[in-house]
Amino acid sequence: MNYLVHIAIMIEIYIMLALSLNLVLGFGGLMSLCHAAFYGIGAYATTLFMLHFHVSFLPAVAFSLAFTAVIAFLLSFPALRFRGDPFVLVTLGFQIIIYAILYNWISLTRGPYGIPGIPRPEIFGFQITSIKEYFVLASVFLVIIFIFLIPIYNSPYGLTLKALREDEIAAESLGKSAFRSFLTAFVLAGALASIPGSLYATYVTYIDPTSFTIDESIFQLTILLVGGSGNLKGPVAGAIFMVVLPEALRFLGLPSSIAPNVRQIIYGLLLIVFMFFRPQGFLGEYKVR
Amino acid sequence: MMNDGLMIKGLSKSFNGFFAVKEVTAIFLPGRISALIGPNGAGKTTLFHLITGELKPDKGKIIYKGDDITGLPPWKIAKKKIGRLFQDVRIFKNMTVLENVVCSLFSSKEESLFFSFYPKKRRVMDIAFEKAKDLLSLVGLRKEENRRAGELSFGQQKLLAIARLLALGAQVLLLDEPTAGLSVSMRERLLELLKRIVAEDNKKIIVVVEHNMSVVLNIAHWVYFMNEGKISFFGRADHVLGAKEVRELYLGLSA
Repeated sequence: MNYLVHIAIMIEIYIMLALSLNLVLGFGGLMSLCHAAFYGIGAYATTLFMLHFHVSFLPAVAFSLAFTAVIAFLLSFPALRFRGDPFVLVTLGFQIIIYAILYNWISLTRGPYGIPGIPRPEIFGFQITSIKEYFVLASVFLVIIFIFLIPIYNSPYGLTLKALREDEIAAESLGKSAFRSFLTAFVLAGALASIPGSLYATYVTYIDPTSFTIDESIFQLTILLVGGSGNLKGPVAGAIFMVVLPEALRFLGLPSSIAPNVRQIIYGLLLIVFMFFRPQGFLGEYKVR
Repeated sequence: MMNDGLMIKGLSKSFNGFFAVKEVTAIFLPGRISALIGPNGAGKTTLFHLITGELKPDKGKIIYKGDDITGLPPWKIAKKKIGRLFQDVRIFKNMTVLENVVCSLFSSKEESLFFSFYPKKRRVMDIAFEKAKDLLSLVGLRKEENRRAGELSFGQQKLLAIARLLALGAQVLLLDEPTAGLSVSMRERLLELLKRIVAEDNKKIIVVVEHNMSVVLNIAHWVYFMNEGKISFFGRADHVLGAKEVRELYLGLSA
């Protein structure tokens, strides 16, 4: 039972990540490879606020959100000078740099040793300890993110981002500032990615930089590519599929020595198959170029 | 009258020493359809790029309604109600026909992220959708409103792009080869629409780049003939098309 609840929590965390990445990729059409970096900044910021400044959980989440937003804001200026492949490469650069900082700034992050003993969240005096309580907490955050995103997805702002995704030159010729819309999308996406980061850190109570690598960024991108982007259901479907798949593969009875490798190969194959047969993902509304 | 127009003064643009547009001076007046004609590579599309801010001129000024708009970014020029139909149309293919029109109807403030949470957003959007439907009726695409725009025929896409310009509230419509690639019936529909737009609002300025001379004679009040980056003739359509140089250089007729 706890195993299933654990999977449900991971699904929720990845839905949050996919929904936030969707603002940049699904709406703006910008393929960002540094989403795991924002996720990691959120996780580390929350941890450090809680451990060093003895801030309780909710304020720590809020501070991390603001901190990640500031980082995303600063990064957006160099990144948004580019589109297409160069944008992908610039965000890849950010991902590498932020990972290197988490890994090497040992006095702050303990680097490869990671940070153990992260306190469990305490909300209004209620200590969250059991995995089921944690599931409820993650669900509450997920619902809040949904309530926050629905009006954005269905707004002039959402339509503007879609128009820019479709054809930036045409959209600008109709009075839309690409820079302004992309800037807000990039900052919002980065900031929102910090929330699952906060939840992850306090859920597993131990973080190290290997959870926030380029592989993780690619995994999050894969969720959107498989589930489909540009709407709300695609990221949800993708997150469920991509989290459940490796668990389901465990029951194939592969020898444990090759199981992880087979899983990696299946991920790779899946991406290729999707590009061939369903480039817009399960439920997406446009093909990622 | 002069103050309402779009004025171009001594505009030049060169690429690696080659003048695509050289010392072009022209004025486009409200209530008129003007045509830019000339051989390929004469600088007509470049002139459009300069007016809409896709390119920055090396020299010269663009004045609209008395404001200097030279060198503004494209989206700011669009906010001045100067709209453009691209040669390759550039509709938003993965959005519905209705969405294509709707998204040109919002102000900068309404397009901001924070407006998503304003209580009056719903009403603003409802009004925009109604208005977009009216515009689709005007261009004759009302029946297609829920189709993916990429599924429309090329001619319908041009009509949609014009509806989008009207949604923007464009007072100046710069149309790059609006009738190219259209069937005869679609071309007639589009020309009727253009005439109607100017007839209903005599503040509007339409400039077309056009290669079809019967179209030019049909709709244009005023014609500029461009060759090698310069305007070498201008005047009433029949006069320009009758000029010796135009006939030789462009129409391939002997005078």
